[in-house]
Amino acid sequence: MSFLIDSFLSALLLLWSLDLEVYFIIYVSLKVSLSSTLIASLLGVPAGFLIAFKEFRGKRLLITFLNSLLALPTVVVGLVVYAFISRRGILGILDLLYTQTAMVIGQVILIFPVVACLTIAAISRIDDRYKKTAMTLGATPFQTALIVLREARFAVIAAIIAAFGRVIAEVGISMMLGGNAKGYTRVMTTAMALEYDKGEFVLGVALGMVLLLISFTMNVFFNVMQGKSRA
Amino acid sequence: MLFSIKNLTKVYGKRTVLNLPDLVFEKGLIYALQGPNGSGKTTLLEILSLLIPPSTGTIIYDNKTIDFANSDLTPLRREIVMVQQHPVLFTTTVYKNLEFGLKIRGISKMERQRIVDESLDLVGMQGFSNALAHKLSGGETQRVAIARALACSPRVMFFDEPTSNVDVENQIVIERIMQDINVQKEISVIFTTHNLTQASRLSHDVISLFDGMQVHTTYENIFAGRILENQDGRRVCLIRDKIGLSLQTEKAGPVKLTIDPLKVKLLAPQETETKENIFDGRLTELAEDQELVRAVVNIGIPIYLLLPRDTLKEKALTVGDAVKVLCPPEAIHVF
Repeated sequence: MSFLIDSFLSALLLLWSLDLEVYFIIYVSLKVSLSSTLIASLLGVPAGFLIAFKEFRGKRLLITFLNSLLALPTVVVGLVVYAFISRRGILGILDLLYTQTAMVIGQVILIFPVVACLTIAAISRIDDRYKKTAMTLGATPFQTALIVLREARFAVIAAIIAAFGRVIAEVGISMMLGGNAKGYTRVMTTAMALEYDKGEFVLGVALGMVLLLISFTMNVFFNVMQGKSRA
Repeated sequence: MLFSIKNLTKVYGKRTVLNLPDLVFEKGLIYALQGPNGSGKTTLLEILSLLIPPSTGTIIYDNKTIDFANSDLTPLRREIVMVQQHPVLFTTTVYKNLEFGLKIRGISKMERQRIVDESLDLVGMQGFSNALAHKLSGGETQRVAIARALACSPRVMFFDEPTSNVDVENQIVIERIMQDINVQKEISVIFTTHNLTQASRLSHDVISLFDGMQVHTTYENIFAGRILENQDGRRVCLIRDKIGLSLQTEKAGPVKLTIDPLKVKLLAPQETETKENIFDGRLTELAEDQELVRAVVNIGIPIYLLLPRDTLKEKALTVGDAVKVLCPPEAIHVF
């Protein structure tokens, strides 16, 4: 028990001391995860919206396929992307392996289905009357779509936050495609895995606390925003 | 001519919910679409407001044939606004709700402010501009939805059951608004209702629908029944397995029939008639309906009657009294 408490106190001291290595790891984590979340959102929200809003052949099949991708293990994504960007892969010439870009690519593949599926669910839950109201007030199809998206905004933001939570906490892709290179591709989760391997817990606990803090801050931000709008 | 409908049908799956061979709405009038739940009123309004396409048929609006399949209907839709039975307001302020239709029409900010204020004033909701729309009561929501539609300066306004979910106070306000916009702004109004008194009181013409078809009776008493043949060869229509109505018809099996409320007779319990189709019941409702009195008698099914005021006085009948109802053959129409 005292071992845990000691690790916790040492972790607090480490964070308090503004250790450059720790904060650089946090910086890389946030940079990679926010980039992948942004790209996945730019692709996933419109895709999810279109799938939910339009009627077309194979719609249910596509949704089922996207849903099954939700359970995609990070190591599978890592392996597939590795096969493409490793020296022997067809994109090997781009020299992407063990770069932050490679991590972003893998993470986008991982969370695109998350953003798309949760957006589909969010849009499908919006009452059809909003669509009809916008149309009868004279909105064009695009303006009608924007109204529906606006009504689903909190659920869509929640989808993006869930996707961010998935990438900031994943370790497989970051390890396989980033390589955990110190000062370049080392992120919080890969650093924690390394510290575990070394039998060192202080940095791991410190980074774990930061991860929790980030998650807590995002949820507080979301709740405040939602509360203000519905007050 | 505002709308002309020819051979219009709307089919969902295998069910035909609307089947109107010929129907015309003239400009500048108030029409009531009257009928029970599931009679196709809302579907007709949604087709006429160009929100959903018909399965077959032609709609001519203002001498233009509507092409649901190919043309962009937004410009036409901007002339026709529908207020839904349970309107939804966008989750923002009342002002922004009203501003929406104006913004997408490219109206300047100053002009928008003026129109929003004027529209809220018209529905008696001035001062609610900054209120959050989703915090309003049912009646207030309905009024803001009407103001939002009015702000768009439509030529035609559709109201789907405008007063079915509001209290009496709001009902009076909404009825007044419908009449005012028709008279002052010359907006043609089509509204749905199942309230017969309201339909005849507010409209220039009442169109009755039943099971998706237009029925040529102004009032209720529309039933689905089954024609059976008695042992003596006479035909009886069994309604809801409760009431057997003798009638003369060539039809057999499931039918629909109307009983004209003007031709149904109300008898005091002591009155004796030897005719057919006399049913015992209880007088459950009396209401003023222009120069007449509208009565409802429960004979196992509710039967509506329209009576001269003197009839009730002569017979000294009031609500709760046991009565008899006579449905003469000329009051029954099978279709």
